[in-house]
Amino acid sequence: MFTRPALLRPVFRSTTNRALFHTTKSNNLTIPFLSTLPQAPGGVKGDVNEAFVPPPVDKVHGSYHWDFERVLAVSLIPLVSLPLASGAGIPVIADTLLSSVLLAHCYVGFQSCIIDYIPKRVYGKNHNYAMYLLTLGSLFSIAGIYHLETKENGLIGVLTSCWKEESKTEEKK
Amino acid sequence: MLKSVISKRTLATAAATATKPPKMKSFKIYRWNPDTPAVKPKMQEFQVDLNDCGPMVLDALLKIKNEQDHTLTFRRSCREGICGSCAMNIGGRNTLACLCKIDKNVNKTVKIYPLPHMHIVKDLVPDLTQFYKQYKSIHPYLHRAKFPADGKEILQSVEDRKKLDGLYECILCACCSTSCPSYWWNSEEYLGPAVLMQAYRWMVDTRDEAFASRKEELQNSMSVYRCHTILNCTRTCPKGLNPGKAIAEIKKFLAVD
Repeated sequence: MFTRPALLRPVFRSTTNRALFHTTKSNNLTIPFLSTLPQAPGGVKGDVNEAFVPPPVDKVHGSYHWDFERVLAVSLIPLVSLPLASGAGIPVIADTLLSSVLLAHCYVGFQSCIIDYIPKRVYGKNHNYAMYLLTLGSLFSIAGIYHLETKENGLIGVLTSCWKEESKTEEKK
Repeated sequence: MLKSVISKRTLATAAATATKPPKMKSFKIYRWNPDTPAVKPKMQEFQVDLNDCGPMVLDALLKIKNEQDHTLTFRRSCREGICGSCAMNIGGRNTLACLCKIDKNVNKTVKIYPLPHMHIVKDLVPDLTQFYKQYKSIHPYLHRAKFPADGKEILQSVEDRKKLDGLYECILCACCSTSCPSYWWNSEEYLGPAVLMQAYRWMVDTRDEAFASRKEELQNSMSVYRCHTILNCTRTCPKGLNPGKAIAEIKKFLAVD
């Protein structure tokens, strides 16, 4: 194959011959300790002239998810500004709301990170494992929030006490 | 008369270049040859005399190709920013070589790479197959049940036509899509700013009747929602368009869907 003169060699022989392409999109960008699935050459599925086929319609993971994300982000504005304005000692309901919405906000954020950086297309089952890990962590956090609100002084209370403890230790010095 | 003027001018320019000291500017250009796939890509340095070269980076590239290295490969066509062929990464920014002025400071080297995170065919030529496939997937043409009986154009009000301004000018050079980190990671599924801006262009076209199905095709977690409003697209666009805003408008359409 390589003995033929360069001019006679067509550049595009077939899509399967894309190993000849060089890529700035290096495989080194994948996470080293996670197994990956084989990828289509050049990331292109099917014939060159066929249109890309979008994933099936899924409103729950589409616009509803995005709306939910925005509602969480916007509702955090009053929930965070209330304790900031009142200093300390906000009602338990407000504190619970703040911690839960903050947790949901973090969950959605990390979910986005997993979809971006550990996509199912490349990592297969590892994508699911990452999601399970996130869910597990979030469940622990829910238990933590319950503990904070019932046994301790709430999220804001604990944060405030951190501040006070620090200033106390500084005074001792 | 005219001839003598022209010859005088040519003489004058020739004299000017002869008397002026050469302004040698160095260009470092990404090289990779598919005929020797095992040889790693490298940056090759070329010296160009700015006194004897056009003002744009594309002029320098053509000069290098004509005079120094015929094997240097890049796409170019119109040399005036309307075809979108010469999109490349110049000095760390995706832009069109024909619209990018050469920095007159000869102490600085200009580094030229192909569009980032693309599969490379040769030197500065990226493989845009996936990009075009994605463009095809949004049906970039009018969908209508009926066309005017007289066979003439479909009339539009001035206001309706104005909606397409800032969208129809896109030349699909792929500068914005290849500057988007989300597109770097997920170009197999995320459509990217250029294609999404065209999706929006056909959504707001009042002559088009496929608004519902166009929205439906974007209703999944990958096609649109991998956009995290990084806005590299708007910053890099060599035509000064705003793909970030178009994506935001699509999200607004979908939000109330």
